[in-house]
Amino acid sequence: MAKKAKSRTISVRLISMAMTGYYRTMIRPRLHRPLSMLKYDPVVKKKVLFLEATKGGRNK
Amino acid sequence: MSVSGTTPSLISKLPARLTNFFARYPPQIYSSLARPEVPETAAAEATTPTAAGEESEGLPSPYTPNRDAKGHKPADPKAFSPSRALLYSDPKHPNPFLPKKNFRTGKWVSPRFGLRQQADLVKLAIRYNVEELLPPGRKSTEFKQTRREECGLRIKGTGIGQKVKGHKWERTMEARLEDRRKAMMEMPEMIRAWKQRGHGRGWKKWPKR
Repeated sequence: MAKKAKSRTISVRLISMAMTGYYRTMIRPRLHRPLSMLKYDPVVKKKVLFLEATKGGRNK
Repeated sequence: MSVSGTTPSLISKLPARLTNFFARYPPQIYSSLARPEVPETAAAEATTPTAAGEESEGLPSPYTPNRDAKGHKPADPKAFSPSRALLYSDPKHPNPFLPKKNFRTGKWVSPRFGLRQQADLVKLAIRYNVEELLPPGRKSTEFKQTRREECGLRIKGTGIGQKVKGHKWERTMEARLEDRRKAMMEMPEMIRAWKQRGHGRGWKKWPKR
C-alpha cells in the first residue's frame, strides 16, 4: 500500500526565549526555514524572541 | 484565694450540683489550686526548641520547602507538655475528671465524671466564679488555653519546625523565576544577535521542545 502523502505545511511551536513556558503555534511550509520572531510574551509583559522548537527532527 | 476562707454565704449561693460536688471532692484536696507546681527542669525541657525548630529559621522563602521534610512527625504522646502537666491526679485522691490506670491489671478505669458532665460542671462553676475550685480536667479554661497555645492553629506546617511538601509549582517556583530573570537579562543581547544573523537565517541554537 502506498504511503500517505505528507502535507505541504506543518504546524510548529514557537517558544518564548524568556523561559516562561509560553509558546505560540504557527503553520509554515514544510520546506521553509525554521520560524523565529519577536512577539509579546504576556508572562513577562514584554516583546521577546520566539524561536521554533525542534520536534524530534532537526531544523535546517 | 484560700479555699478554707470560702465564706458560708458563697456556698449557700452555689447550686446544689456544685455544693454536692465540692462536698464529695473538697477543693482543699482535689482542686487545681492544690496541684503541686510543675518542676522547673521539666518545664524548661519542654520549652527548648528542637533541632528541627532551629533549622526552620534559615528558611529563605515559603516556596523553598525542605525536600527532605515529609510532613512532621507527630509528637511523642508520652512526652512532657504544659497542657498534659495540668492534668494532675494525686495517686491518693484520684482526680474524678481523669481516667485512672490500674497498674496491676493494666486496664484503664473511666473518670468518675464523663466529659459531658465535666463540661456541665465547669460551665456552672464559671457562672459562679469558682472554676479554680474544680479538679483540673480537659474542660477547664486553663487546659483549653494551654492546649491552644501548644497546638497553634492545627494547620499542618504552621508550627515551629514544621514543613509541608507543597505542590510542585511551589517547590520549583524559585528556580523557575531565577531562570526567567536570567533569560530576561540576556534578552537584549539575544535579540541583537538574532537581528545580526538575518532574523534567524544563520541561527544555530534552536530550543528543544
